[in-house]
Amino acid sequence: MSTPFTHLHTASGYSFKYGTALPSALVQRAAEFGMHSLALTDRDGMAGAIRFAQSCEAHGINPILGVNLSFLHKKYRVTLLAQSGHLASLYRLLSGINLGEENILTFPLLQRFAEHASKVLVLHGPDSQLANALAHRRTDEALSIYNSTRELFADQALEIVSHQVRGDGPLSTPLAARMLGFARDHGLPALLTNAARMLDRSDGPVADVLDATRNLVPLHHRHTERRNSEGYFKDSPSMQRIADEVARAAGERNGRTLLATTEQWGQRTVLSVRRDIGIGEIHLPEPAMVGAKDRPELIQLLRDRCESGLQRRYTGALSVQAAERLEDELATVRTLGYESYFLAVADVTTMARDLDIRVSARGSGAGSLICYLLGISGVEPMAYGLLMERFCSTLRHELPDIDIDVESARRLEIYDAVFNRYADPDWSKPNNQSRCATVAMVETYRARHAIRDVGAALGIPPIEIDAIAKALPHIRARNISKALENLPELRSLNLTTPLMKTAIELAGRLDGLPRHLSMHPCAVALSDIGLLDHAPILRNASGYPMVAFDKDDVEAIGLLKLDILGVRMQSAISYALSEIERVDGDQVNIDEIPLDDKKTFDLIKSARTLGIFQVESPGQRELVGKLAPNSFGDLIIDISLFRPGPVKSDMITPFLNSRQGLRKRSSIHRDLEPILAETEGVVVFHEQVIRIIAIMSGITLAEADEKRRDLGTIDGQQAVCDWFYPASLARGYEYSVVNEVWEVLRAFASFGFCKAHAAAFALPTYQSAWLKTHHTAAFIAGALTHDPGMYPRRLILDEARQWGIAIAPVDINISDRSYRVERTDLITRAPYQAPDLPSTGAALSLPDARGYAIRMALSDLNGISDEEISTILAGRPYQDLSDFVRRSGASRPVTESLIVVGAFDTLHHLENSGTAGAINRRDLLLHLQDLERLTGSRKNLGNGQMTLGLLPPALSASGLPDLTASERVRHEIDVMGMDISSHMMEFYGEFLNEIGAIRSSELIHQRAGASVLVAGVKVALQTPPVRSGRRVMFLTLDDGYGCNDATFFEDVQNSCADLLYRSWLFLVRGEVRRTGPRGISLRATGAWELAIEHEKWRSLRVCEPLSG
Amino acid sequence: MSTAPLPIRVLAPEGEPTEFLYKGRRFHIHAIVSRWRESGGWWNRIDDGNRHDPANEFSIFDDGARAIWRVEAAPEGAMTTFEIERDEITGTWLIRPTSRPL
Repeated sequence: MSTPFTHLHTASGYSFKYGTALPSALVQRAAEFGMHSLALTDRDGMAGAIRFAQSCEAHGINPILGVNLSFLHKKYRVTLLAQSGHLASLYRLLSGINLGEENILTFPLLQRFAEHASKVLVLHGPDSQLANALAHRRTDEALSIYNSTRELFADQALEIVSHQVRGDGPLSTPLAARMLGFARDHGLPALLTNAARMLDRSDGPVADVLDATRNLVPLHHRHTERRNSEGYFKDSPSMQRIADEVARAAGERNGRTLLATTEQWGQRTVLSVRRDIGIGEIHLPEPAMVGAKDRPELIQLLRDRCESGLQRRYTGALSVQAAERLEDELATVRTLGYESYFLAVADVTTMARDLDIRVSARGSGAGSLICYLLGISGVEPMAYGLLMERFCSTLRHELPDIDIDVESARRLEIYDAVFNRYADPDWSKPNNQSRCATVAMVETYRARHAIRDVGAALGIPPIEIDAIAKALPHIRARNISKALENLPELRSLNLTTPLMKTAIELAGRLDGLPRHLSMHPCAVALSDIGLLDHAPILRNASGYPMVAFDKDDVEAIGLLKLDILGVRMQSAISYALSEIERVDGDQVNIDEIPLDDKKTFDLIKSARTLGIFQVESPGQRELVGKLAPNSFGDLIIDISLFRPGPVKSDMITPFLNSRQGLRKRSSIHRDLEPILAETEGVVVFHEQVIRIIAIMSGITLAEADEKRRDLGTIDGQQAVCDWFYPASLARGYEYSVVNEVWEVLRAFASFGFCKAHAAAFALPTYQSAWLKTHHTAAFIAGALTHDPGMYPRRLILDEARQWGIAIAPVDINISDRSYRVERTDLITRAPYQAPDLPSTGAALSLPDARGYAIRMALSDLNGISDEEISTILAGRPYQDLSDFVRRSGASRPVTESLIVVGAFDTLHHLENSGTAGAINRRDLLLHLQDLERLTGSRKNLGNGQMTLGLLPPALSASGLPDLTASERVRHEIDVMGMDISSHMMEFYGEFLNEIGAIRSSELIHQRAGASVLVAGVKVALQTPPVRSGRRVMFLTLDDGYGCNDATFFEDVQNSCADLLYRSWLFLVRGEVRRTGPRGISLRATGAWELAIEHEKWRSLRVCEPLSG
Repeated sequence: MSTAPLPIRVLAPEGEPTEFLYKGRRFHIHAIVSRWRESGGWWNRIDDGNRHDPANEFSIFDDGARAIWRVEAAPEGAMTTFEIERDEITGTWLIRPTSRPL
């Protein structure tokens, strides 16, 4: 058996669009080859380092880390390697390059970073300037290059590589031999690598496609780097043969010296996964960062802050209970040493509140009383049975995960505040002492990008590729061919040609390869002062410094990862609160409202939940209709049930059956009764699983949570099973009980949901529902302004009409940037009344928002810019159109748009425009033309440069007819994307009446199984994954009276799928399905384009009198 | 330039050619002048591509992989330079005489 070889130059897929293999695959191969050590030296970055190190640890390989970089010139590259114990120096140097001006390694940079560079090793390989000099037989130049960097690095070597390429250029044996001879002649170290970028010889085509993609060119010999397939991860005997071949060509007897030097350098660079790379370490901000001078003070500080929260929030018996629980939690935190973790997170939430930005915690953190007391979370954990152990326990040595939701519109303000406090502003200096950075996200190849890149490389016409890419769902690239088989709308594309088959095969081989590094949308990493020693930093596209590692990596090396999620609903809530105060003078403290408001639950039960956080989707509307939540606890259950797991495993049906009294609640054992009572005997929450395990076996909750986590894997499940039976039998439970409980645990453990997480979500759900109930207009104005949900604005606008709110058109002297609430005496339609159903008992009391109007916002006007809005607002009030044209700074098209949507109607008293001789919008458009002609040139319009001495032309009635109602609506849709003056469906009213189409609000009165026609505007088309694997399409239509949900199964998809994607207005026939007391949906049997059917009907109607 | 290569029979006991039959005569290889490997250009062979790598059933690519030896060989004293090529997919050996210097 030969000595194992150590590859010191290996590129993985983290050399974006260059390497063809994931680090884990390379490590696994190294292990199969019996190698001891392996280097990962990706091009231009080290984003794969942590995954690589983790794989190495799993396979018993010693990791070596380096990076391959441009040195002095873009075209010359060297490989830097970290010496054992000095990885931080390599990170610092790489960060210096990334954060500096030039983005490549230069002499000035090396001098500035001398203390770090002097601990780094450098390899002059086949792409180096040195090799280039030797290729041109300029030995002196090669020597002077070598000498110029001698003092700057810890050590350097010639990197000998032969891919047995023809001739005597880079990667050929002759040049490799010349480099070896040069090293020997001058007494320099030389070592062998294979500069591998592929795992196998057969990966050549993938490498070629990546070359073409990287260079944005079609495949051609000129643009592909490889001349053969030798740049793959070779085994030790192959590398020894190359060593011999090169050494012999250099006049030596064999490659033994070359291999020995390689091995030596391998030993100098081996890193410790823990000590050097820091996996399993923890680096939290120092006590001083949160206001304590040392650890004891830190512990006291956390206690003081919690106790003051305790006094504020609890009284009586509950406060004793809470104090006990606080002691337990503090003890856990102390054991783990996480005080600064909690205080730092609290620090960030406090910073946000100080900026008057809404914050709420999400995730398992809501299970911790400490989080509640510090104001991180807003849900009281004890009332809802939330457990600290699910979040954080001494048995689990990983940092717990806290996510906080903030107003999306102001998220970056919090980033800035965090950077202000935790970062050292001069990022380019060698010893920057920052403690925070944003976190990277690795974008990998999925189906769409893979097929696009491969298509471009193969020169397939962009139109064809575009059609396929757009049609592909967001799936893994390797599943493309399967997806293509299942999508009827793709059958028209010719996918069986050799070229297409090749493209699909290649796309599959790109599957999962990293494409590039982007910024994680919400994560911020906090650490101690040595952030730049723990990870390389780069500047992301938005200009924030960013750790080159992704969120899992950041957790693995023990940085505090805080997700600051921008949640539009929080912005909408914040906006609604400010509108309530502005219009009604009420100061609502939404975080203190009681959580048992009957009217709020009535609204949720009515399933009219559009705009409400989490429960507005068609599926959720169906579920809340069935579940009829009566309490905050019910909301938590509702949110937990509405996920793929419970839906797939059909947990919902038994739960609903028990709840509606259709099924007797099953009871396994009375000890479990209190745990399962809230969910009708069905296991829904992780917390229930934890409690069941604890009570049956007598272990602590923390231990029980470890068991629960073990249930997630097949091996773990077996281990838990082997332990659970004897443990609970020993506690005196009967075998049949143990057996039954085990079946439940096994079946539901993996689908259960963290109740704390659901509770944290339920809070904004309840708050938004409360606002919609009691301040409907303000809430809808917030929803329109911040667009928090899944539906288009026009549907939200229609929702406003449903509750009796008037829609006030754009008015040039009134409309603001955002949607504003107004008091009004306009008569509107009566608000929606829920049908009185005997099954639900009392009638629901629903909002009545008559007396309020929502004023359309300028920001939704097509083509208007932020600056234009600002100048328009600054110039108010305007006397007339000509005044507006002179002073507002609005462009001509924007002014036209404003006219056609009626923004000048009030100003010019167009209310009576119907009467003869009155001025109408058409006249205003003509007037605008006159005004423009007067100013002579288009660009002067609006610059206030009206020619002096000339009076503006007068506005007069031209006698042209005014816009018809339907023309107005068409303009509104063109300009604002919404039907404002009336609902679009009104124009089809007569037709729909005649054919007997049912309004959505009347559908509830249809008997189950009846075949009905409905019509409406498409508001959502979803194709979620379902249990059977068959595709189901869910279409939601809005008809001005609410929404219809229609389900299209495979049998109708063939005829309808294409239409559903393509069109906008539909007529749908379907069978009525009742899904609960207020739940109703259609099983579609056909769909047509409404406009076409309407046209047919009209032409028939016109013809009929003639024929008759 | 060299002429089109012809299929020949080659004796290569350990993967490296030592003798071959050329125009009915037996040549002995005295020295390997140079050797290299080539592959690539599979994208130009997509439409005719039935020549898959039998060792890799998943690959539909004809990458044209070949190893080339430039050798000094002699039949009974006459010294000529040849390129002997082994098609690495089919295992066929090819030869072309070459007078081109290194």
